[in-house]
Amino acid sequence: MANQYQVLEELGSGSFGVVYKAIERATGDIVAIKHIDLESSEDDIQEIQQEIAVLSTCASPFVTQYKTSFVRGYKLWIVMEYLGGGSCLDLVWGKFDDPFEKFVTLWLTGFQLKPGPFSEAHIAIICRELLLGLDYLHREGKIHRDIKAANVLLSSTGMVKLADFGVAAQLTNIKSQRNTFVGTPFWMAPEVIQQAGYDFKADIWSLGITAMEMVNGEPPNASTHPMKVLFLIPKAPAPRLEGGNYSRDLKDFVAACLVKDPDRRPTAKELLKHKFIRGAGKVEELQELVERRQEWAGGKSERTSHPRLYEETMHTMGVKEERDEWIFDTIKAPTLAPTSKHTQKRRKLSVIEHDTPEEALQQLNINGSLRQSETQMNPAVQKSSERRRSSANKVASPGRRPSGQKQPLVPDMSFGNSGSTIRQFRRVSDNSPNISPESSIAGRDENRPPLVEAVTKESVLGRRVYSSVIENTFQEVHSQTGSQGKREALSRVADAWSALDAIDPEGEYQLLKLIIERVYSDPKLSSLLPVAHQNSPQRQKLVLATNNPHLKSHRRRQSLQVPQEDIWADSHQMNLPGRLIPGMEHTKILADVLYSRWAEGLKTRWPVV
Amino acid sequence: MSFLFGRNKQKSSAELSKLVKESILRLDSTASQKVRQIIDPFNPEQVYQLIVSLIQEDLLLLLAVAIPKLPFETRKDVQVIFSYVFRYKPPNSTMATEPLALNHVINSRPEVITALCRGYEHRESAMSCGTVLREILKHDAVAAIILYDEPKGGSLTNVTNGANASKGTTPIQYDIPQTGQGIFWRFFDWVEAGGFEISTDAFSTFRDILTKHKQLVSSYLSKNFALFFGRYNSLVLSNNYVTKRQSIKLLGEILLDRANYQVMTTYVDSADHLKICMNLLRDERKMVAYEGFHVFKVFVANPNKSMAVQQILIKNRNKLLKFLPDFLADRTDDEQFSDEKAFLIRQIETMPSSPTPPSVPQLAGAGSTVAGGGG
Repeated sequence: MANQYQVLEELGSGSFGVVYKAIERATGDIVAIKHIDLESSEDDIQEIQQEIAVLSTCASPFVTQYKTSFVRGYKLWIVMEYLGGGSCLDLVWGKFDDPFEKFVTLWLTGFQLKPGPFSEAHIAIICRELLLGLDYLHREGKIHRDIKAANVLLSSTGMVKLADFGVAAQLTNIKSQRNTFVGTPFWMAPEVIQQAGYDFKADIWSLGITAMEMVNGEPPNASTHPMKVLFLIPKAPAPRLEGGNYSRDLKDFVAACLVKDPDRRPTAKELLKHKFIRGAGKVEELQELVERRQEWAGGKSERTSHPRLYEETMHTMGVKEERDEWIFDTIKAPTLAPTSKHTQKRRKLSVIEHDTPEEALQQLNINGSLRQSETQMNPAVQKSSERRRSSANKVASPGRRPSGQKQPLVPDMSFGNSGSTIRQFRRVSDNSPNISPESSIAGRDENRPPLVEAVTKESVLGRRVYSSVIENTFQEVHSQTGSQGKREALSRVADAWSALDAIDPEGEYQLLKLIIERVYSDPKLSSLLPVAHQNSPQRQKLVLATNNPHLKSHRRRQSLQVPQEDIWADSHQMNLPGRLIPGMEHTKILADVLYSRWAEGLKTRWPVV
Repeated sequence: MSFLFGRNKQKSSAELSKLVKESILRLDSTASQKVRQIIDPFNPEQVYQLIVSLIQEDLLLLLAVAIPKLPFETRKDVQVIFSYVFRYKPPNSTMATEPLALNHVINSRPEVITALCRGYEHRESAMSCGTVLREILKHDAVAAIILYDEPKGGSLTNVTNGANASKGTTPIQYDIPQTGQGIFWRFFDWVEAGGFEISTDAFSTFRDILTKHKQLVSSYLSKNFALFFGRYNSLVLSNNYVTKRQSIKLLGEILLDRANYQVMTTYVDSADHLKICMNLLRDERKMVAYEGFHVFKVFVANPNKSMAVQQILIKNRNKLLKFLPDFLADRTDDEQFSDEKAFLIRQIETMPSSPTPPSVPQLAGAGSTVAGGGG
C-alpha cells in the first residue's frame, strides 16, 4: 500500500511521529501522511486504534478527513487530507522548530514576530467554522478534548478544520461522561482538571481559550508553569478579554465560552447564534492570512529552500545479520551452529568436546542440583504465574511501560515541552468505552481489566480517595517541588500509586486508612494534625478520629494484649484484598515516603482546618 | 409504528437498503447520539412494540447484512440501533434477564451474529459491526455461537429462507470437534488482512471472544487444540508487525490464564512451539522480542518440561545463558522484567545436563514433585 504514495517533504514532527507531504499516485492528490513508530510505543496499539476509530467515523468539511491507514514494517502510516495553510498557531506565530532560530528571527525583525495579526473578523470566521466542526463532533458523541490553535488547520483556500484526534473520545449511550485527564493544561476546562466527570462542553471552554490565544498569540497564564496552571484554572475566576482594544461582541463571545460551570456553558449550536459569530464573513477572507504567511515565510525561512526530504528510514528488516542461531535440530546440532564454512566443522566439534567436561561436572552434581531445582520449581512456577497475572493486569495500566517514559504527573513538563498535550493521565476508561457497568462486573476478566471495577464499598472509597485526595495532592506537591530530581522521585511515587489505584482500589483504601490510623496513634504526629470534622463525610470515612472508639480499643489492645494484636489483624484485615499479601510490602515503604508529602499537601489544601 | 415493518419482505438490495434507511430515519431523525433521547420519550409500551416488531419482521438480520451497503452516516445509525435494541429490556424485567431482542437472536436467530461478524469482510462495515459485536460479546452465549458456528449443510436451516425457518435452529453441539470452516476461523484472516483499522478492530473482537469467556474457551481450546494453535502460529509468524505483536501478547494472556491450565500444559510440551518462541526472542524488533519473552518464560518455568523441550533448552543452555543477560538490557526501569529474566537464567543454569522424563505425567505431577523433593 505504501507504494501508492510518493512521499515528499516533511511537514512537521511531534511526540507522535513525523508528518510528511505525499502524493497519492493513483489520483495525483496531495495528502498528509503521519508516520507512527509502533516499535517505540510501549503503549498498547489499542490506543492508536482508538484515535483512528474516532477519525475514521468522521466525515465533515470541518474535520480533517481521514483516508486510510496501514502498517509498513513497524510503522503505521495514517493518510489524511493535506491542508496547505498550516495551523492557526503557525499563522499567528510563524513556524520555528528551533528556539535559537526563533530568537534570532525575533531579534532581526525587531520583535515583530507575527506574520500578521489576526483581526477580529478573521477570528470570528475561524470560531464559526470551529463551532460547526464541534457541533458535528458533539452530535456524533465525540469529544475532541484538545482544541487549541495548534490543532486547527487551514487549507490554502481558507477552509478551517479540526485536526489531531490523539486524545479524542467517543461517548457511547451507556456512558455520557468521561473522567480521563487529557488535554493541554492551558486550554483545559476546570471540570476536566477536577475530573469530576465532563462531557462535550469541555471543548467549548477550550474554544474560548483558543479565541484568546488567537487574539493574544498565547493562551492566558502562558508564562505560568503548566503544572501550576492546573490549580489555577479551577480556582481562579474564568479568564476574560479586557480593555478597549477588543469589540464588545468578541469579549462577550469569549465570556460565553469561558463559563466555569459546564451546565451553564452554551453548546456549540447555541454559540453559532452568538452575535460575534453571526457577523462573521466568508472563509475566503482567511486566504489572505495564508498568503501573508507564505510571503512572510518565503522571505525568512530556510525551510522552503531546504525542505527536509523524506528518507526511507526503515532498516530493511528482512535481512538478518549472520549470527548465533538457536540449535533446534537434535541430531545435527554442530552443523547448525554459527557460520557454515566447512572448515569450521572440526573446530565446532572440538568446542563441543570442550563442553563435555563441564557437563560431566554437572552430572556429578546432578543429585544435589536436581533436588534443589525440583523443590524450587513449584513455588517458582506459582510465583511466576502470580507475577504474570499482575503483569497481565498491567497490560492496560501504566505499569507495563518503563516508568521513565510517561508519568502520570505530566508526561514531560520540562522546559520546552510545556505546551504539549497530556495524552492520558490514567489510562482508564478510554480503553473500554463500551463496557456497561452491570456487565463489566459479571464479565470481569482478571487478565485485562484496564481498571479494576470498584465493586466493594472499600474499593469505591479507594477510588474516591485517589481521585479527590491523592492525585491532586501529588499534582500540587509536584508543582511546588523545585528540583528536577525530587520531582522525578515524586512522579515515580505517583506513578506507582496510580498503578495501585488501577489494580487494587480496595488495598489502596486500606493502605490509606492504616496510615491515618497510625498517624493518629502516634502521639507526636497526631498532635500536629487537625481533628477531623465530624460533618465532613469524606474524612469521616477515612479518618478514625482520636476519640474514635475503635481506635481507642485498638490502642488499648495494643498496649495491653500484645498477642491479641495478631488476632485482631487476622479477623479484620487478613481477608481484605491488598492487606498482608506478600509482595504488598513495598506499599508500606511507599506509604512512609508518601506520608510526609501527603500531610504537607493536606495542610496546603485545607490551611484553615 | 408497525406499518413500517408490515410490508417488509425479502427484496432486492437497493429496495432493501432504502427500506432500512427509511426505518432508520423514523427511528432517528437527527443524529445517532440522539436515538436514545428520541426513543426514550416514547411511552414504554411503544418501545416494546417497536422492538417486538423488529423481531417479528426479522429486521435485525436485514440490517446486519445490509450495513456495508448503507451510506456512511446511516451505518453509524444502524450501529446505534443495534446497541440500543440489544440492550433493551422490558420495563418490568429484572436485572438478570437477558435483553429481549438479544435473547431472541441467541435462541432462534444466531445468523444475526454471524452476519455481524461478516461485517469484517467490508471496510465500510467493519468498525460498526465490531462495536456491536464487542458489546454483545459480554454474553457467553454470543461467544458460543461464534465459536461453534459451522457452515450450514442442506439439512440445516438456511439463512436465506427467511424468518420462519429460524424455528429449527439446532442447539450448539459442544463435543463435536470443529472443522475450521465456521465463522470464528475467519477471524484468523480478518486480523491479518486489510487496513490497520479493520485488522485491529477484528483483533479486539477476537481477543474478547478468547479472553472473556473462560470456561467456554478453555474447553473449546482443549477440544480443538491442534486446529487452533496451527492457525494461531501463523499469526505469531505473520509478516504484519501489528498482527504479530498483538497475537504474541494475546498468546501469553491465554496461556497464563488459570482457566486455560490444561491448554497451557499441552502448549508448552511442544518443541515446535518452543522453537517459534525462541526465535521471537531473537527478533530485531524489541517489542516483538519482549512479547515473545512472556511466552518463553512459561516454557522455562514449567516444572514438568517434556523431553523434547528439555532437549532444546539443554542444547542451547550456553547460548541462552550468554544471550539472556544482555536481552533487552535497556529495560532497566522494568523491575518485573529484570526479575523474571534473572529467574529464567537461574532455572536454565540449574537444569540437569541431560533430559529427565517428566516426573509424573501432566496435572497430578506438580504436587508429587514437591513431596518427593521434600523427602
